[in-house]
Amino acid sequence: MRWPKLSRYLTNASVTLASVLLCLLLLPARLPGMELLGVAPNWLLIWVVAWSVKRNLWQAALAGWTLGLLQDGMSEQIPSRALSLLVVGVLTALLKKQKYVQEDFISVALIVFAMSAIAETVVALQFSWYSWRGIAPFTFERLSEVWAYYQDVTLASALLSSMWAPALYYPLNYWWRQMYLLEMNSAS
Amino acid sequence: MRQWWGRYGVTTGLSIAVILGAWSFRESNGRIAYEIYSQVSQPFGIPEDRSRQLLDARTQELSAMLAEQKQENSRLQEAIDLAPDGAGEPIFAPVLGRSADHWWQQLTIGRGEVDGVEVGSIVTAPGGLIGRVISVSDTSSRVLLVSDSTSRVGIKVTRSRSTGVMRGLGDETTSIEFFDKLPDVKVGDTVVSSQFSYRFPSGMPIGKVTSVDLSASPAPRAVVTLFAPLDILEWVSIHGKPDIPPEPQESAESEVEILTDEDDE
Repeated sequence: MRWPKLSRYLTNASVTLASVLLCLLLLPARLPGMELLGVAPNWLLIWVVAWSVKRNLWQAALAGWTLGLLQDGMSEQIPSRALSLLVVGVLTALLKKQKYVQEDFISVALIVFAMSAIAETVVALQFSWYSWRGIAPFTFERLSEVWAYYQDVTLASALLSSMWAPALYYPLNYWWRQMYLLEMNSAS
Repeated sequence: MRQWWGRYGVTTGLSIAVILGAWSFRESNGRIAYEIYSQVSQPFGIPEDRSRQLLDARTQELSAMLAEQKQENSRLQEAIDLAPDGAGEPIFAPVLGRSADHWWQQLTIGRGEVDGVEVGSIVTAPGGLIGRVISVSDTSSRVLLVSDSTSRVGIKVTRSRSTGVMRGLGDETTSIEFFDKLPDVKVGDTVVSSQFSYRFPSGMPIGKVTSVDLSASPAPRAVVTLFAPLDILEWVSIHGKPDIPPEPQESAESEVEILTDEDDE
C-alpha cells in the first residue's frame, strides 16, 4: 500500500507537534519518580537532543530556538531559554559527526547529561549578566547566589534528564526512522 | 533566485511559521498549554471535607492574625500600620503543578480568570503567605512563590517591629535584610508582612527566624524558615489584590524616618 506523500508529511508533522505538546504538559507536572530535590527532567532539552542527533545544523538550531521560546512561554521570559536550547541543538548536531558517539541509549543519556550541564551553565551566565549589569531588577541580587543555586540545580537536573532521556528518545527516534524509511522507499 | 526559492521556499516558509508560532506562544505566557494542562489534570470538583479542613486551617490562621492585630493596635505610635486586607472570602484552588523551569519557584493552580483570579492576587496556604499570581489563563494561573529569588516582600518582626526586605533563596528558607543597623531580632521570632510591602497586605504570617547574622554586609541579615510547607502543598487560597497600594518610594522613606526616630529615643 502506498501512503500518499502529503498525508504522510502531515501525519509526521502532527506526531512531532504532539510530542512537543506532551513535553510542554510534562514540564509543570511532578509525577512520582520524576522529581529530585524539587527538580523535574528538562523534557524540552531531551526533545532537542533527540531531534538534533540525526539532523543538520540548521534544523537543530531552529528546533532549539523554537523550543526555547516555548519554554519561555511556560515560565519566565527573562532570561530567555531560547539561547541555551539553541546552543544545545547546535552542539548536538555537531557532535554526531564524530564517529565515537554511538546511537544507543547510553550515548544518548550521556549526551543529555552533558547538554543539560551546558544549558544550565548558559542560563547561569545569563543570570550573572543580568545581575552584574543590574538590568532586570527582579533577578538574583548577587553573583554568588546565582552560582550557589546553579550548583544545587544542575546536578539534579542533569541526572534526571539523562535518566528519562531514553523514554522520549526511543519512541521519537523510532517514529522518525520509520518515516525516513518510507520516504526512501517511495523515492526509489 | 527562482531556483533557490523553488528548492528552499517551503522549508523557509515553514521555518518562519514555526518560529512565529513559538514566539506568539511565548508572548501569551503559554496560555494554551496551561489551559490543556489544567483540563487534563483538574480533579472533578472540590471534595467537601477538604474544603472544611481548609476552612478550619483558615480559622486558625485568622486567629493568629487577630492576635497579631491586637499587639499592633497597642502600639499607638505606629498608628500607620494598616489592618490586613481580609475583605472577601478566599477562593480555594488545587495545586496542579510546579514551575516549568527549575530556575523559578512557581506553582500552577487550577483556578483562573473565570473564577475571578487576577494578576497580583495574593496566595496563602495553611501557614500563611506563600506568593502572588503572576499570570492567568481561563482556568489556571501561575503563582510566584515568596521562596523565589526574585520575590521581594516587605516584612517586620512581630515582637520588635524591626522591618526589612525578604528575598527567596530558592528553597524552604528566605533571607531578610534589615533597614536598621542594629535590628532587634533573635532566633525564633515570627515574621509577618509589613505595610512597607506594597504588593502584599500587612500583617500576614510568613515564617520564623532560624538564624541571625548582625555583622553581615551591607545590612544585617536573618534567615527565615517559611511556615507553609511549600513542597507538599495541595490546596491554596487566593485573595484579592491589596486595596490601596501606597507609593513604594514614599513608604520606604517614611519607614526610614520611623526607624531613626526610634533610635533617637
